[in-house]
Amino acid sequence: MKKILRYSLMLTALTLALASCVKDDTDLSDVIAQYQVEPVSIEPDYNDLNEAPDVPVTDENDSAYNDYVENTSWNKVIEINYSGNTATVTGSVPGVTVRTDGAHVTVMNMSGPVKFVVSGKTTDGSLKFYGDKRFQILLNGAEITNPHGAAINNQGSKSLYVVLADGTANCLQDGPEYTLVDEEDQKATLFSEGQIIFSGKGKLDVIAVGRGAIRSDDYIRVRPSVKINVTSSALDGLRANDGIILDGGVINVETTGAGAKGVRSGGQMLVAGGRLVAISHGDTRIVTTDGITDTATCAALYCDTLLTVKAGTLKLKTTGDGGKGLNAKQDVRFLGGSLHAVASGTKEVKKPKGVKVDGNFTISGGYFYSYSRRSDPIDVTGNTSVAPGYATYSLTPVVLTIAY
Amino acid sequence: MARSQGKQLALLLLLLLCNTLFPTPSLADDAGLVVSAEASHKISKKFTAGFETEFRSRNNFRTAERVSLGPSLSYKLLPWLKASVSYNLLIENNKEHLTYQDDEVSYNNWRPSYWGLRHRFNVALTASYKIQRVELSLRERWQYTYRPSQTIDNFDFDEGMWEDYEVRGKGKNVLRSRLQLEWDIPKCKFDPYASVEFHTTRELEKTRFIVGVSHSVKKKHSFKLYYRYQLTGSGSDDPNIHMLGLGYTYKF
Repeated sequence: MKKILRYSLMLTALTLALASCVKDDTDLSDVIAQYQVEPVSIEPDYNDLNEAPDVPVTDENDSAYNDYVENTSWNKVIEINYSGNTATVTGSVPGVTVRTDGAHVTVMNMSGPVKFVVSGKTTDGSLKFYGDKRFQILLNGAEITNPHGAAINNQGSKSLYVVLADGTANCLQDGPEYTLVDEEDQKATLFSEGQIIFSGKGKLDVIAVGRGAIRSDDYIRVRPSVKINVTSSALDGLRANDGIILDGGVINVETTGAGAKGVRSGGQMLVAGGRLVAISHGDTRIVTTDGITDTATCAALYCDTLLTVKAGTLKLKTTGDGGKGLNAKQDVRFLGGSLHAVASGTKEVKKPKGVKVDGNFTISGGYFYSYSRRSDPIDVTGNTSVAPGYATYSLTPVVLTIAY
Repeated sequence: MARSQGKQLALLLLLLLCNTLFPTPSLADDAGLVVSAEASHKISKKFTAGFETEFRSRNNFRTAERVSLGPSLSYKLLPWLKASVSYNLLIENNKEHLTYQDDEVSYNNWRPSYWGLRHRFNVALTASYKIQRVELSLRERWQYTYRPSQTIDNFDFDEGMWEDYEVRGKGKNVLRSRLQLEWDIPKCKFDPYASVEFHTTRELEKTRFIVGVSHSVKKKHSFKLYYRYQLTGSGSDDPNIHMLGLGYTYKF
């Protein structure tokens, strides 16, 4: 009897001990899996894009009429050909003065619309325009590097049509230090006081090491078929004070500067087609002036006012500290197209966010994806309105997906 | 007459321990097992050396909590007073630690349970007093436990990633005071006993209530079976726990 009792106790103890191999942790595997999801891959995409035919506006009362280079007669033509440290100018137009200093060309245009056909290569040259007349630059295989400032600088406030000749590859690059001229802005490799309208079926690479890459103190319009590749290690990639209109085209923008924006629109921005890939790698910029510290975070796309997306593809990625994929200071209306925003940076100084909207956010169509590795995928200060009829609405701690 | 009084006294004390001191168990309490085995050898009349190993579980017997082992040495200072020292190596399954953000809903950090080592040193004095067949003993034990530093996993929900977390090494002193009653029933190999023990640091950390029986076979082998209820102090998040204890001692 005693033995039976003894062995029974031992057996009970052994059984209970062997059974004690279950963990008593909270099961957070599903929750953690939601945090550890990999975001969609966003990289520069240089592939062609099938786009609908670019039909110019023909109604003169349409506000966009003057943005179409086709609506202007360009029978006044001057050719500028770069070769090393020289520039050759061919043709003359009354009211237009062209001066050359080595490969640095300065144009004073007091005439009407003039077309400048630019070609050739220089590693120490530039093209500068004065005069309040709209004009066209046809980039026909041009490579211009200016070690001391902007490669193309338009001081006029009228439209600058940048046409990329079919099948051509063009490149503009600035230098690390700009030689400044009194009372003249020179904010980027390609700078214009007036609006810039890009068109044509060629390619343009813009490299910025000193300041911004492309900048207009007015607005920028990009038409279908255009291919623009921007890399900036200093300031913003593509920036316009009064707004940006993307009708189409393939645009790749990559910035690495602290606080730099891939694309920045000071006015309303409309995306109606094309494909924009904007990537910012920089960290938060911290500036202390007179004891006051100011910070500026990076963003792949930064919009000061209303952003409307009707069609097209936006791929936005930020990898630096506190970076935002999309940083909209006012409302965002997402009506169609697709948007992928990824924020994978750290949050030492500021919180990285896939999408940050300080105004209201409205979505009624298209595909919307936002990923924030270290915060909520979307941060909307105002109201969020998601129209019914969506096929997918998925919100996890790091990813928001809405698809119609 | 004297024997009868002794029984009455023992019963009265046991009832006091069981019915008055024992708190009402809660549904949120945990349950576990303690299994121990000890070998002891009487070196001389006054010196006894031993080696003990113990296993514990928690989470309603489902989760291993601790394995410990170590030597001990005791010396009989007086017929009624014993001094002892011991060391235990504790291999412990530390519980998970989960914290929340300020909204008290969103997770902040999660450190899953992990196995770690601790070193424990004990110095004790035990005074015994026998009233007929009831032995009353009081043990005062100073316990010092050192936890070496260790790097463990931590999931930071802010960062959305696993990272290393260093559990810093630290020592802890505890005073354990145990009052025990054991009743030697004539012609019975099963001796019931009961005890209450207080673990005190700067405050009362836990209180243990034990009732059990011991059983000896030819003075070489002894077994004990007991129930232990551990009441956790207000400064701890650990639940109170019911323990079933099984012990074996081999004397040679």
